[in-house]
Amino acid sequence: MKRFKPLSRIISLCMAAAVLSLSIGEEVHATSLPYDTYNYDYREYIHYTPAAYVPSTEIGGENFTYNGEPVGRFLTPQDLCQADDGDIYVADTGNNRIVVLDSSMSKVVNIITTFDNEGTEDSFNQPYGVCVSENGQIYIADSQNHRVVVLEKDGTLVKIVANPQSESLDDGYVFTPLKVAVDYADRIYVIAQNMFEGIMVFENDGKFASFFGTIKVEISLWDKFWKRLATKEERTQQQLYIPTEFTGIDIDPEGFVYASNIDATGVQGVRRLNPRGEDVIKKGENKNVGGDLQISGSSDYSGPSQFTDVAYRSNGIYSCLDRRRGRIFSYDHEGNLLYVFGGLGTQMGTFQLPVAVEDIGGRIVVLDATKAAIICFEVTEYGRLINEAVALRFDGDEAEAVGLWERVLELDENNELANTGIGKAYLTAGDYVQAMKYLKLGMNRDYYSIAYRRYRNEMLTKNASYFLTGILILIVAIIVIKKVVKKKKKGGAA
Amino acid sequence: MGKYFSKEKWQYMFYTISHPMDGYYWIRHRDRGSVPLAILMVVIFSFCFTANRLLASFVVNDLDPRDVDSLYELVGVLAFYLLLCVSNWSVTCLMNGEGRMKDIAIAVGYATVPMSVVLVLGTLISQVIADDEQAFYVLLLGVGIAYGIIMMLIGIMQVHNYTLGKTLLTLFITFVALLIIIFLILLMSNLIGMVFNFFRSVYTEIIFRT
Repeated sequence: MKRFKPLSRIISLCMAAAVLSLSIGEEVHATSLPYDTYNYDYREYIHYTPAAYVPSTEIGGENFTYNGEPVGRFLTPQDLCQADDGDIYVADTGNNRIVVLDSSMSKVVNIITTFDNEGTEDSFNQPYGVCVSENGQIYIADSQNHRVVVLEKDGTLVKIVANPQSESLDDGYVFTPLKVAVDYADRIYVIAQNMFEGIMVFENDGKFASFFGTIKVEISLWDKFWKRLATKEERTQQQLYIPTEFTGIDIDPEGFVYASNIDATGVQGVRRLNPRGEDVIKKGENKNVGGDLQISGSSDYSGPSQFTDVAYRSNGIYSCLDRRRGRIFSYDHEGNLLYVFGGLGTQMGTFQLPVAVEDIGGRIVVLDATKAAIICFEVTEYGRLINEAVALRFDGDEAEAVGLWERVLELDENNELANTGIGKAYLTAGDYVQAMKYLKLGMNRDYYSIAYRRYRNEMLTKNASYFLTGILILIVAIIVIKKVVKKKKKGGAA
Repeated sequence: MGKYFSKEKWQYMFYTISHPMDGYYWIRHRDRGSVPLAILMVVIFSFCFTANRLLASFVVNDLDPRDVDSLYELVGVLAFYLLLCVSNWSVTCLMNGEGRMKDIAIAVGYATVPMSVVLVLGTLISQVIADDEQAFYVLLLGVGIAYGIIMMLIGIMQVHNYTLGKTLLTLFITFVALLIIIFLILLMSNLIGMVFNFFRSVYTEIIFRT
């Protein structure tokens, strides 16, 4: 019996170690945050990560006074944007006013309710969208007055864009602008209600120029087949195949237009439109820029993400706001999903009806219409490392990014972008074994193959003498054996 | 045991693989084959199949290893083997086939050998190829599987003493029969479940009343 004691001790030790290692390997849980931060891996499994952004403040109109008067609660605000001088413009739709905050969102610097329209005092009716051009002019989509109002920073009227005239517009078309954006040449991009043909572009003199970025309707063969079979009466009952409307718009410094739309298939919820109006977005490894990949189910909470706004941030990174589940999806310029965070709810840091997203000084800022509040998210170490590494890659400094990616791996061991980034750096450095290891972890087949081929060539040239000697010995051995066998047979016969 | 796995049976199996026409003929007429050996080959095939799915290199293999379950696949392959043999036997019985159940089992079982071989070879070769050399891997697997299918075809043709046209026709009908068998099994299991449920509810009723 005595002899077995150490054995049992070893066994118990092993079991204790196993239990310990199990408890270490547990999933990371965001304990204090009202939402999970996650990403999708190569196999489209949800992969929980440390938080990339954490909620910092919620700002409502009730927090402010302006000229001694309380500003009062926002009422269904629909849009916000930041001017180049740092001021933040909020379209307080229900109160028919534009509220201007300073860049730190600590005080109200201006409230625009009226403006002077050729001698008469004019006001807004449901101003739905707001945008500021490079030279500081304010563009307001004054939806129920059916016009876009352009004001100087001090509130004097520049021009009014209304009543677009074109052959491609129906007679009696009512122009109801919802969202507005301006590019460097003061061209105005307007998303109008019930306008399925695309974004409306106006020249800087206010004339309607053309439609932009029309979403093509794709009818599947199966639908066509059923259409064929249907009678005329049935066809009138069926729903029309109309393209989806755009929901949000943003313009990057190069003049590309980012526009979000609601995609019923959940594949592409955002477009990057070049100046000719063609979509040039890259969809990444999963061929998807449509938000969540796991969308099965039949409740209100399931189904494809519905992008209601998009914000171009910097270095090719853009974030999309999903109103169905209140999540923010950030992609890089190659269409790789960087991190997903946010959720619906009533807690601080969650949304009830998110309508607009903006990047303000490195913070992600979301406007919630029902909460009537601006919700700010501060970047964490994890988010900052990813942002910086992606920025370096965007500039072409992949070798520089390695240090950052390695720190990302310390926080999130299975981050595929980080593994791929490190693998690529090893590949350029010529360490093929390490490159293969990391590229395999990053599930990057193409670069893995490149690394492997180089590794194989290296091995072959290094060991060529052994290979050739081996083959020579083999040939000689075969000849000898054959001769011996022949001799034996002959001997047997004789 | 020795009778089924004797050296002679093994040697004859390899002879059949290299000379299917001749080999299958004498399996039918001289009992040179062995059913347990054929079943063993099917089991080995199932393992090779799983091994290929699990171990083939990252470059050629897009499968999620979490989706591969060797036991599940073993049961699946064996069930398919049984179904194929039974449905082929039932069809050929009606169509003047000369083969017995054991001949069919041997014909199908031996035909899996080339497939197993290429699956193993392919798995090994996949370890030393890069992305653009996938064609070799695919070609290898394709050749092996084609050879296996041709062997199966010849086997069924020879054991039943059919022409090629008739073999293809019976194979098609076999396939239909296979679907019918699956349908009947599902139907029966469903009905048995209903009967079982009935008795169980009667039982619970009685229990609750007392």
